Amino acid sequence: MADPGQAVALAAGEPPGATGHRISFRVGRDDSRFWIPVFLLPFLALYLGFTLWPLIATVIYSFFDWDGAQPLNQFIGIDNYTRILTDPLFWSAFRNTLLFAVLNTIIKLPLTLLAAVLLTRRWLLFKRFFRTVFFLPIILPVALSGLVFTYLLNPSNGALNSFLLEHGLLKQPVDLLGHDNTALLAVILISVWQIFGQYMLYWMAALQQVPEELYEAADLDGANERQKMFHVTLPLIRPVAVIITLLALVNALHVFGIIVTLTAGGPGRATYVVSYFIYTEAFREAPFKYGYASAAALIFAVLAFLFVSGQGLLARRAEQLRRQYGV
Amino acid sequence: MVGWKGLAAVLAVALSVIACGSGQSASQPSQGPGAPVTLRLQDYSVEQTDFHKQVAAEYHRLNPNVTIEWTSIAQAQYNQTLPLAFSSKQAPDVFYWTTGGPNAMNQLLANGWIQPWTTDANAAADWEKRWPSGSFLNGITLKTGKVYGFPWQDTHYWGPGYMYMNKAVFQQAGLDVSKPPTTWSQLSDACKAIKARTRAYCIAAPMKDVDFQRLWFALAAGRMSEQFFDYKNGRFSLDDPRLIDTFNYIVGLNKNGYLAPGVNDKDFSRQQFAAGQAAIYMDGPWMVSVWAQLGFHSDSYGVAAHPMPDDTPRGALSQRYSQYAYWLSSQSTHQAEAFKFIQWVTNPTGFFVQNFLKNSFATLAFADNKKYLTDPAWKSVFKIADTKGFRVVYPEPLLKCPALADSKAFTTASTTRPNGEYEVMVQNLVNNRDMTADARALVNIRQTTFETQLQKEQAAGLKVSRDCYTFASWNYDQDYNPANYPKS
Repeated sequence: MADPGQAVALAAGEPPGATGHRISFRVGRDDSRFWIPVFLLPFLALYLGFTLWPLIATVIYSFFDWDGAQPLNQFIGIDNYTRILTDPLFWSAFRNTLLFAVLNTIIKLPLTLLAAVLLTRRWLLFKRFFRTVFFLPIILPVALSGLVFTYLLNPSNGALNSFLLEHGLLKQPVDLLGHDNTALLAVILISVWQIFGQYMLYWMAALQQVPEELYEAADLDGANERQKMFHVTLPLIRPVAVIITLLALVNALHVFGIIVTLTAGGPGRATYVVSYFIYTEAFREAPFKYGYASAAALIFAVLAFLFVSGQGLLARRAEQLRRQYGV
Repeated sequence: MVGWKGLAAVLAVALSVIACGSGQSASQPSQGPGAPVTLRLQDYSVEQTDFHKQVAAEYHRLNPNVTIEWTSIAQAQYNQTLPLAFSSKQAPDVFYWTTGGPNAMNQLLANGWIQPWTTDANAAADWEKRWPSGSFLNGITLKTGKVYGFPWQDTHYWGPGYMYMNKAVFQQAGLDVSKPPTTWSQLSDACKAIKARTRAYCIAAPMKDVDFQRLWFALAAGRMSEQFFDYKNGRFSLDDPRLIDTFNYIVGLNKNGYLAPGVNDKDFSRQQFAAGQAAIYMDGPWMVSVWAQLGFHSDSYGVAAHPMPDDTPRGALSQRYSQYAYWLSSQSTHQAEAFKFIQWVTNPTGFFVQNFLKNSFATLAFADNKKYLTDPAWKSVFKIADTKGFRVVYPEPLLKCPALADSKAFTTASTTRPNGEYEVMVQNLVNNRDMTADARALVNIRQTTFETQLQKEQAAGLKVSRDCYTFASWNYDQDYNPANYPKS
């Protein structure tokens, strides 16, 4: 082990103990007190400027009636919070957000797990091709995905309706994005399509952590594929599954781009979600309502915090399980 | 060693400062006549970017010491960044702002964002002669005798309410665009024929976001007003029986399959129309240039006024004091150069006007639009808008009660749920439902907010009330008589 007090010459091949006028860093206990803050300073400035300050500013703004242009001097206490708590649109958006997050997670996780299991089978040909195909949607910008599906699902001349009508599978075109009952479900399915590859990779990473010898032992015991799946694979990836599930829920709670591009919260208010609600309040029409939007953002942040906290607790439990199974 | 530590610390601090933001500093003061000056202009007319480059080049050719930097960004982005630019003292010299309509000047003054175009009263008076008399009004463009705003777009021709008809689809249906439907029942009959005899939809009606306004404005104005506020009674009006009646007529069109299905945005609907997938599209005169961009020229379509309801009462489209677009930033140190530039821009026969109108970007308040807009579609537009009662001059509360300049009641109420009216209408339309209950709920929120805020302002000593917004003797299809404003 290198002596922490030893001089580390910068020039390659410099013999130890060589002297002269050259640039050198001395790594020692005293010096580290100086260098650590120096190296941390840029990150700290970024963190303060782009994370901590916006958070503090949001808290401050939430107590003001502020449009972003005039001086921040109309303190209104908790008025923004009380108004939000009685705003039916906020609660409608909140309900839609939860519905989106839960349904999105319930649909995407089993499907992506199934795809991951299939793509980690030895007998499957063209694995790379399938991985690429499944992963492709995630590299498409959300705006483009929204545009593609707007045209694909359009009841006037969209490809899906045209196909179904031409083959006699429909008598009337279906407007999936144009009805209260189907719009949110359509958005959820499109969102699953887009994020599919990412969660498939998570599952593949989890599956690769399962020791191969356990499968060999299961083979010797005469276990079939289904038994291996339910008695070896799933129990062993359960700790990681907890984290993937919570990650999926938290990510889904922040849904925004796909709503903007596909439905703009519509038809009417049928697909309003909290992030879109905050956006419309903050930026839709001047005078902007930064104070109101900030309060909405904080209430939503509390919800997200609860999920993250839950994630932390469950992750600890998952870690315990992981150790227990020796994975 | 100490030197290195110092250097590293300075570097770290410098990186931190860079990370936390740097930017272009506010404009430097003019050095004197002939000194190089850069005028920065900002707006969200992205479609005019190439034209702005030509304008900048031409102006620089004529005034080699002045460089014009005219940037256009998307409207949503612009609305977010402009207030930040003012906060950080990096505002452009000249900026575009129409929010607040007739009260824009007062709001911008309250923000501390604007300064007068010139302090020279004679120069200002000469400049104002380019507009029809009565264009510059105290409390709207003038404050304490100084001119802050000027009418940009013309409001007589420019606005919603025109019906575009696809000639090919009309012909297939046995209809003639030179005999357009002029009443709601004729429109329904035309749609019936189009549905029966062609594969096209009758009306391309966008419904995404606020795009439903394209159809709504045209039809609602026929019955009462395209405004969501009733200036006759001083109340928000989506639940007015006449507007409910209009909405029910549109629901009827939808139930009969006359509206193209889908919650589409305006671009999609426009493409449907231009591609012959829909026979009718309603919107403003800007469509003449939009159609041209889509390769669809005036020999392929006809233009007519929106159909009116068969029975009375009838309304009209509104003409308001609202097209004040460009303002001189209070942070600009180039007042003289900016005024000279804007005088050049607003020269009724100058380079800007000729090329602006040649591109059909808008009709201008200070130009002879008919002279430069010669496309047959434009001629139809002029004829329609010149028809008495198509568009009427609306009463302006600010002129009745100058104290409204300091009131936030109306804007607070109307922006509480900015898209509320469209959200209510579209949600009920796609489900073919009656919207009365939802409309009443929305109006209740708006009206309560409006009157509560007015009372608060009254209590604070501001001379404002609902009466400022009430013009009982005026009717929706009449020009408001300016003589009825109280003499100040």
